[in-house]
Amino acid sequence: MLLAARGISKHFGRNAVLQDASVTARDHEVLGLIGPNGSGKTTLFECLAGLIPTDSGEVEVRGRAVAPARRKQFLFYLPDGIRPWADQSVAWTMRFFAALYARSPDEVAALARALQLEPLLRARIGSLSKGEAKRALLALGLLTPHPLLLLDEPFDGLDFRQTREVMTLLRTVPAAGRTLFLSIHQLTDAARVCDRLVLLSKGRVAGEGTLAELRTRAGLNEGGLEEVFLALT
Amino acid sequence: MLWLLAKESRELLASRAFWLLLLMIGPLVGHGFITAVDSYAEASGIGGGPAALAQGLSPLDGVLVPAFGAYDLAVTLLFPFVAIRLVSAEKASGAWKLMLQAPVGMPAMLLAKGLALLGAWLLAWTPGLLALILWKAYGGWIYWPELLNLLLGHLLRVLLSCGVAVAAAAMANGAASAAIATLGFTVGTWALEFVAAGRGGLLATLASYTPTAALRVFEQGQLSLATVVVTAALSLAGFALAAVWLPTRRGLPSRLAWSLAAFLVFTPILWGAAHLRAAWDLSENRRNSFPAADEAALRQIRRPLRVIVFLAPEDPRLMDLDRNLLGKLARILPRVDIENASHSRAGLFEKAGDHYGEVWYQLDGRRAMSRSTTEPIVLETLYRLAGVEPPPRAAGGEYPGHPLAVRPKGAAPLFYALWPLAVALAAWVHLKDRNRS
Repeated sequence: MLLAARGISKHFGRNAVLQDASVTARDHEVLGLIGPNGSGKTTLFECLAGLIPTDSGEVEVRGRAVAPARRKQFLFYLPDGIRPWADQSVAWTMRFFAALYARSPDEVAALARALQLEPLLRARIGSLSKGEAKRALLALGLLTPHPLLLLDEPFDGLDFRQTREVMTLLRTVPAAGRTLFLSIHQLTDAARVCDRLVLLSKGRVAGEGTLAELRTRAGLNEGGLEEVFLALT
Repeated sequence: MLWLLAKESRELLASRAFWLLLLMIGPLVGHGFITAVDSYAEASGIGGGPAALAQGLSPLDGVLVPAFGAYDLAVTLLFPFVAIRLVSAEKASGAWKLMLQAPVGMPAMLLAKGLALLGAWLLAWTPGLLALILWKAYGGWIYWPELLNLLLGHLLRVLLSCGVAVAAAAMANGAASAAIATLGFTVGTWALEFVAAGRGGLLATLASYTPTAALRVFEQGQLSLATVVVTAALSLAGFALAAVWLPTRRGLPSRLAWSLAAFLVFTPILWGAAHLRAAWDLSENRRNSFPAADEAALRQIRRPLRVIVFLAPEDPRLMDLDRNLLGKLARILPRVDIENASHSRAGLFEKAGDHYGEVWYQLDGRRAMSRSTTEPIVLETLYRLAGVEPPPRAAGGEYPGHPLAVRPKGAAPLFYALWPLAVALAAWVHLKDRNRS
């Protein structure tokens, strides 16, 4: 087991955003965190990454408890909806991340090609459209070398064609030895890209497993992720 | 580390606040310099007017301090916004969430920010350096130890400003709140100085290390180890607070506990530093020192001196006494305890006490009183009290003075036109590519 989080709870004031949430991530898989807006996906990711304090719970990496301050050694979390260093160019920002994580210029160039960022390399991050910014951010995330990469809404802002291309790219990541944990609110996207799924509803984990396992747990003989999600939550 | 420094420098150069600071600093320094050189020329007798005594004409007071005074204004009212942006922009844009996961520690990240800000400030010193070049070109005199000391004072002043601004930006939710907190700190130090004026005790000790008061020590040509260490430690404390508040993984109780820990670490350091006595008079006219013969005689006094002053804080005699005598005595004698016994006002509607105006000197159980704030008279009193043979009075002043009766030719076009144009052009060239994309 690459990562096991147990009993994660988090309150913001009186609002219980996460309640006793437990998830596991295995090596070389694409794990999806599925839930509607406001279900606690981002909060769970930020708790796992050690970016915000939890009220309770612990996180283990390969069977060993890891304190929040040390989690950046094992996993990297790419938030959704951020515009880091808006005045800097895409090229410079990628080079900066490559320098931080000892990545070669060839790797930077390959990622820029794969994410169709080449025409945007001289553009400022702040001047990009939502979809362009999302691809630039994905490039930053994919430049990190951690065994586990948490991507918050990686397809948000991408058009249909770009979504398919990014999915294809993300599917190659586990083969390269990493595990992806994707937070997705679009169930159709999730079903297409993820090996296993974690269903999150109102801060509680309603189920974890492959689509077939979740279907069995829901007592359904057939049906897609949407039916399974509705049955389990 | 180099990449972090590059990032911070690029962020600074992308900041319009920094370019505005550069744009404004030229005319501000220019105004101070031009006014100072004009006044200096008049005091030196330009145009046939009455000249002041040459000994009274010091370039430090006459030109350097007024010209660089613009930096005190800028570091108080402009620079904090540049420093705050360097932290707040990353917090607001989400970049900070990425940096918190980067394989570099918080000290390295804060060091990079501090170094970038320092570099920016050194760049902002260009108009000041131009003023010095002009002054030399006019034939002006520069006494390098007092100039370098003044620059050190301004450097420490900006470090303190960085510490306060970075701490405020780390603790506040947004740039606006951080700016208010920083300005609140500045106004608070002004209030402290006002309240503590002439009072003595802890309040006066605190007030003597406010940014303005600390800079004043350097402007007087004095290098005080206590001022250097306290200012540097306060700056470091600001960065330490930022290191406590910037990691988002800490909850409020944890942040408060770590802040308290930082307070407990820095308080004894500051207390100890405030008691450092080493100080050097780097002014050319030795304004912070007694004549060499008197200093040699005073060094024979090895016992603590207690001074009880019956003067109200507003009384100008108290300021004379502080500047001309007590400060100098504190540098020479092993220990000087000063007690301000009169806190009452000698105003129109208040009757002064019977002892008002008296200054009592106590040494080794013996007491002597003097109402004078004049150096030779007070020294006579002290020699008599200590049983030390007064040194013979040296004839004539040792400082020749440096009058210079020239107008600041070429300064106005340089500071009011060329500098703003050059900065505007540089900003346009630097920012145009970014705006185009």
